[in-house]
Amino acid sequence: MENKKKILVTDDDPDILAQTKILLEARGYEVLTADNAEDAIRVFEKNDIYAAALDLIMEEMDTGFTLSYKIKKTEKGKNIPVMILTSATYLTGFKFDAGTKEEKSWLKCDAILNKPVNVDDLLMKIEEYYSN
Amino acid sequence: MNTNGKPRVLIIDDEDALRGAVKRILEREGYQVATAENGSRGIELGTREEYDLALIDLKMPDYSGIDVLKEIRRQKPNTVCFIVTAYASYETAVEATKMGADGYILKPFTPEELLNHLTSGYKKRLLILEAEALKHEREERLLEIAFERTRLNTVINSLADGVLVVNTDGEVVYYNNAAMTLLNLHDVVIGRPILEELPAEIREIIFTNFTVNVTEKKSFSVEVELKPKHELVVEATLSPVLRHNGQLSGVVIVLKNISTFKKVEHLKSQFVSMVAHELKAPVAATLGFLNIILNKEMSLTRDQELDFLSRSRHRLASLLNMVNDLLDISRIEMKTITREIRELNLNNIITETLSLFTAEIKKKDLSILYDQEGLQITIRADYSEISRLITNFISNAIKYNKQSGTVDIKCYAEKHYSVFEIADTGIGMRPEEKDKLFSEFYRAKNEFTKDITGTGLGLSIVKRIIDAYSGKIEVESKYTEGTRFRVFIPMDLNEDEINN
Repeated sequence: MENKKKILVTDDDPDILAQTKILLEARGYEVLTADNAEDAIRVFEKNDIYAAALDLIMEEMDTGFTLSYKIKKTEKGKNIPVMILTSATYLTGFKFDAGTKEEKSWLKCDAILNKPVNVDDLLMKIEEYYSN
Repeated sequence: MNTNGKPRVLIIDDEDALRGAVKRILEREGYQVATAENGSRGIELGTREEYDLALIDLKMPDYSGIDVLKEIRRQKPNTVCFIVTAYASYETAVEATKMGADGYILKPFTPEELLNHLTSGYKKRLLILEAEALKHEREERLLEIAFERTRLNTVINSLADGVLVVNTDGEVVYYNNAAMTLLNLHDVVIGRPILEELPAEIREIIFTNFTVNVTEKKSFSVEVELKPKHELVVEATLSPVLRHNGQLSGVVIVLKNISTFKKVEHLKSQFVSMVAHELKAPVAATLGFLNIILNKEMSLTRDQELDFLSRSRHRLASLLNMVNDLLDISRIEMKTITREIRELNLNNIITETLSLFTAEIKKKDLSILYDQEGLQITIRADYSEISRLITNFISNAIKYNKQSGTVDIKCYAEKHYSVFEIADTGIGMRPEEKDKLFSEFYRAKNEFTKDITGTGLGLSIVKRIIDAYSGKIEVESKYTEGTRFRVFIPMDLNEDEINN
């Protein structure tokens, strides 16, 4: 139990949160959840987090970006993959991507994934981060 | 001028015999003759009426022929005048001509000589008249053109649409005030280059579509956002002006302010994407649960399965509520609702509605303060709408209340309104939240509300119902302490005043 990798997942929809949690747990990860930015930061600081998957829109339209920025700013955060999950591509018609180096540095996150998120895709991105 | 085609001649001579003889000769030749036996009578007749021709004796007892001539010429400049005299002298002839005499007839004269003079005089008279008529016509036309121009200017300048005409050299040929205001241009001078000052989109069209090769009358339109965020959007329509030979001579640019239209369009698409987003969330959640349940690798416990199924059912039930709310909004918006306006007892509707919430009230241990002893308040309205309104308020007051809180309900008459008042001891609102309260899908999001379900459409529907009855709503709220709503519905509303 102690050696399971911990993934922080945030979403303001408790059902989505429960689903992501059970799916990741089935693949052998420990999942810590938060439904607001404040809790998320607290969980991140207290735990040894392996990766974070943050919902873009929670309290505000850009809560996910702000949260990701805050996490990536810390020493701890610099060394873990932080993903933003969003359905904003459908909502706004804008295409978010963090493919290039510039975009990554500006967005302060390592990948942007569309919702509903495919757990395998998420895990692949996380492992990609560590293998590079 | 003569009436029956006969030339009119005035003979002014103090010699009775001569007057008589000339009159007879001329009448025989078809002239219409008037005579005057002295200068003053001559002036009188010659200035009172318009004669084609006048024969004026140079020497008369009262006036000199020159004076008579002068006077007639002064008032009737188109009468052709001849001076008649037996004492011809070079000086008199010159003077007479200076005064405007058209000819000089020496006495004695033969009838042929006289008729020759008069025939050519009459020809001259006709030419004068024709020239006069032409001149008159021209003046009238000029006036007309000037008038047309002013009128056209006034019309174009009163247009709300902007009009700007540019020639092939890119110089302003014409513009109206609206064009200047829309494009925010000042000190525009006719004949000066203007293209550089026009929005790039318009310039682009001019450069690509209005080259010298243009021979057909085809218009181009472009939307130009002159101030961001739909503050000022114009639709510019550019049409070529062609010469008679088919060559391009310029471009007419008509600018139409479509800002309001764009704003409405934007709100609409915003609403659509908001609705789509709100509908998507419960569908995605339900689908997620079903996928997990159907996934054999997950090996869920029976309890987990049941939990996921009941959560799915809950999401679908609230989705159905939301769709129903949306349909209600759409019906109110499209005004397809048929209202059955009746006299309704507000007190009864409140009691009725409260009874539907007995379980929730008990669960939260709420005290309901509702004084039914007072006046019975009636309103003229549609039952289902008012019932919907009261239900939404009571439901909110319960949902957002704290455990063991109170709901205070009153209804009373105030001035011309029937008032429904409801106060809760719930989570309250921050001032900035109050503005968003009635907008679609707005739900107070904070630590207190995360477990409360709702569509975010309840108050939006309430607002629409109140608007339909020309009513108003007041909100008082203190964050964490509670909210009080007051709904005012006008009394004595006629059926046709209700927004059907």
